[in-house]
Amino acid sequence: MADSMSAAIPAVAQPRSSSLQKLARRRSSIAFLMTLPLICVILGLVVYPAGYAIYLSMLSRRMDEFVGLTQYDILIENDTFWLVVFQSCFFAVTAVIAKAAIGFWLAHMLHHIPTKGQRKWRGMLLVPWVIPPALSTLGWWWMYDPTYSSLNWILAIFAVPAVPWLGEPWWARVSVIIVNVWYGAPFFMIMYLAALKSVPEQLYEAAAIDGASSWQRLRYITLPMMQNIISITVLFSLIVTFANYDIVRVLTNGGPRDLTHLFATYAFQVGILSGNIPRGAAVSLFMLPLLAIFAFFILRGVNQRNKEMM
Amino acid sequence: MSKLEVTRRAALGAGVATVGTLSAPAVFGQPTTTIRCGFWDHWVPAGNDVLRRLCAQWGERNRANINVDFITSVGNQNLLTIAAQAQSRSGHDILSFPTWEPAAHQRMLVNVDDVMGRLTRKYGPVTPAAEYLGKPGGNWVAIPAVSGTQMKPACVRFDLMQQHAGIDIRAMWPAENRAGPGADTWNWDTFARAAEACNRAGVPFGLPMGSFTDAVDWLGALFASYGANVMDERGNITVRNNANLRAAVDMAVRISRQLPNDVWAWDDASNNRALISGRSALIFNPPSAWVSARRDNPAVGAQCWTVPVPSGPQGRFVGYLPYFWGIWNFSRVQGPAKELLEFLSDREQADAQTSTSAGYDIPPFLSMNDFNVWSTEGPPVGTVYNYPLRAHHNARTSVAFAPAPANLAVQAYNQALNTKLIARIVQANESVDQAFGWLERELNTIRRGG
Amino acid sequence: MQAATMGRRSGSLRAERRWALWTAYVSLIIACVIFLMPPVYMLITSLKTNAEMANLQGNPWIVLNPTLEHYRAIVENPLFLTFFWNSIKVTVVTVILSMVISVLAAFALARMRFWGSQWLATGVFLTYLVPDTLLFIPLYQIVGGLGLLNNTWGLVLVYPTLTVPFCTWIMIGYFASIPKELDEAALIDGASWPQMLIKIFIPVALPGIIAATIFAFTVSWAAFVYPTAFITTPDQMPLTIGVVSTLVRGDTFAWGQIMAGALLAALPPVIVYAFLMDYYIAGLTAGATKG
Repeated sequence: MADSMSAAIPAVAQPRSSSLQKLARRRSSIAFLMTLPLICVILGLVVYPAGYAIYLSMLSRRMDEFVGLTQYDILIENDTFWLVVFQSCFFAVTAVIAKAAIGFWLAHMLHHIPTKGQRKWRGMLLVPWVIPPALSTLGWWWMYDPTYSSLNWILAIFAVPAVPWLGEPWWARVSVIIVNVWYGAPFFMIMYLAALKSVPEQLYEAAAIDGASSWQRLRYITLPMMQNIISITVLFSLIVTFANYDIVRVLTNGGPRDLTHLFATYAFQVGILSGNIPRGAAVSLFMLPLLAIFAFFILRGVNQRNKEMM
Repeated sequence: MSKLEVTRRAALGAGVATVGTLSAPAVFGQPTTTIRCGFWDHWVPAGNDVLRRLCAQWGERNRANINVDFITSVGNQNLLTIAAQAQSRSGHDILSFPTWEPAAHQRMLVNVDDVMGRLTRKYGPVTPAAEYLGKPGGNWVAIPAVSGTQMKPACVRFDLMQQHAGIDIRAMWPAENRAGPGADTWNWDTFARAAEACNRAGVPFGLPMGSFTDAVDWLGALFASYGANVMDERGNITVRNNANLRAAVDMAVRISRQLPNDVWAWDDASNNRALISGRSALIFNPPSAWVSARRDNPAVGAQCWTVPVPSGPQGRFVGYLPYFWGIWNFSRVQGPAKELLEFLSDREQADAQTSTSAGYDIPPFLSMNDFNVWSTEGPPVGTVYNYPLRAHHNARTSVAFAPAPANLAVQAYNQALNTKLIARIVQANESVDQAFGWLERELNTIRRGG
Repeated sequence: MQAATMGRRSGSLRAERRWALWTAYVSLIIACVIFLMPPVYMLITSLKTNAEMANLQGNPWIVLNPTLEHYRAIVENPLFLTFFWNSIKVTVVTVILSMVISVLAAFALARMRFWGSQWLATGVFLTYLVPDTLLFIPLYQIVGGLGLLNNTWGLVLVYPTLTVPFCTWIMIGYFASIPKELDEAALIDGASWPQMLIKIFIPVALPGIIAATIFAFTVSWAAFVYPTAFITTPDQMPLTIGVVSTLVRGDTFAWGQIMAGALLAALPPVIVYAFLMDYYIAGLTAGATKG
């Protein structure tokens, strides 16, 4: 974005009259004023809290003593914390792969049917994304309920034994992932559909004349054309999924045995619920290195694409 | 510009809040006195109304405004509220504190020795467990509450128990002040055999093993009846070479193998649903489950009978979840707040709370264990007769993780270390020694961060 | 997988098309059933009586005696109305604030070069990548220090972190796509920068503004982390957290009410979506395709 912008500016900055020069001088101060609120938001609500979090994480439980890296030390030695690290990564990776695959498949299917009907289907398929996740998760919770599970009722029709959705650790992990995939797949679908529509039709026509099979068309035209959008959405979604909070909080609260805790819910549990703010801050700061890696790849992708567009 | 607006509006909001506090003078009796109360959101629906009514009544008499909020313990919302108010030193004047919280926040609570002195002179001693929790270091920091304080004896489907385990629980624990035949055999061993029989019959006991209070409390009672402590009064970890602990764990493991396979994720409502749906022969719960069953599934409700917890080698202990009414030391209406709480603790008001909650609320004073409601509630009449402690039960109230120091116990309690210990053995197939190793590490973490 | 089957079946083009269409419809129907199952089940539950819910004999997916008692209870519950009002208050203020901040900033960043503007644009993008769960603990301390814990204004203070970066990002994209000839002409006509923004950019980029507004609205309506952490008493709660934490009543059967409450709470975003679907989707896709 920054690149496309810098290309736009010189065209404006060139004019020669002196009044315009004066304007240009004034321009930067007006511009500064206009961005000031944004700068305040970024500095006051992101940069400052981030620095403050680092400071907090170095205090003792009662926050009356500076203890250096002790909180991190305690965490690294704690079994539960490593389970949280594992679960967060496992949750984010599997959920994002599933969301991307389902989203891609559905986008493809939507693209295949006549344009007239697409709107209707798209409208219905986007509903999970529209309902606030904390609320729809309540519905899932009730469907998973050990005694009254309506999902188990359906499974019973096919003679499948009742599933302990939230009781058995692996099932609980799967249940949480299912809800996240259900919620996020429509987003992928919409993104991929937009990308599919931007692939020039002529490419397919040319391929059809060359006798390419549909697999070949997918492999050599669609995927390369969508490569950028796929990687950016996946990375974006990795961040959001990795930092997820509401689904786990409503569905399992981290149980059974803390095995479904993610960074966010664990930080909440430790920091706010148990009143150990410094350790909670330390837990959430552990997310940073991984997020930084994701952000690096996203920024690279965005910049590359902007260069291609120029 | 818009940023300025945020702060201005924010300041405005804060200003309104401060003005509200300042304009309430500490002088008692002025019509402008406002006491903000955050009580526990009662599980028996009528429970909130009676508190609201009593507060309004007192407010009218004393020309004070009483604002009453009800804060649920679902999802630990009440713990969240306590933490937030302690953190920001603002919020309510009076708040309900469960189990370990008064001791954990004792430095921020107003000393209520005077109120408790007057009340004990009138009504005699309070339940030892309530005294232990509410009087850390020799001073009362909070008043044991009536509303919300509960015990967790067994709520039994007497028909299923008779049919599958051959135990006539109503004969054993009749609605009278005496133990029936076989009451002396009502121990954990009998209980485990009954659990097996009922599980075989497809109506397993519904004992939660998750991280919420119902789970932690019943398991705490079992541990107590074996004399199994994981930490002593001075905070030393006593997991290693602890024969009592091992015996308690063996029994807990034995029982939990007879439970539904998803009890590990049950919350405080799951066991009630298991009972109400008719799928379970026994749960440990206050009468709220029975009250819901009476309303939603009367056929089940009519077959419920509350009886004491089974006994162990060290006696009979019943899970006890007391609430305390504490006054924050940042409150500007401490005097009136004390008066209000004293009023709510009086026998007449206590009776009103217990009676409207279908006998759910347990008053802290032993002399009040004779309210009429426990004999008259039904159907079946007498079903909650044995809910409060009766002399012939020979039972004591138990608090999980006692006698550890409160600031450590509160963490062990909130993290549900006892149910997780059993879960590691039963669900994750760890050996008992491995699980003990884990427990020691967790307790050590708590000590280090304490 | 579907493509592979299609490859093998490379018979006549017509047959292949029909086959593809058939797979498409089957997949879409299956997806729709699964995607709509939870909300439909919530609706079913909200229409059942407590006794019917407690009854394990029947089919949980049908309602025998539909009742509106839960909806009536919810609508008559003063708490629920408080939640609704709090949600509206917080959302409206947040949306207005975020839109003002982001339109101003996006205009400056898209059209006016100044010292550090590129850094700022990258900074906006980076802040968009910071999840709300990373900073809620320090923010808890900060909001607490300001005395705004358990206060809806505390939420208004922190919600811009959720909305502003993305809205700014979308708006930069929309503004950048406006042809430069337009503002050159305006400058020569002697228009000032603020005039240019109001007279040219805002009208031309209106679809973008609508999309960003919808985004800000849905995000603040659905916000969950901040209210769970910062709000503790029912009188200050917005809907999401109010329904989740207050209506889930201990161990009694309030599922009908919970579901009714959740559905009512989800209604505003769903209505906006139903009427402005195209803007909604434009906003969704703009973030990544135009950014």
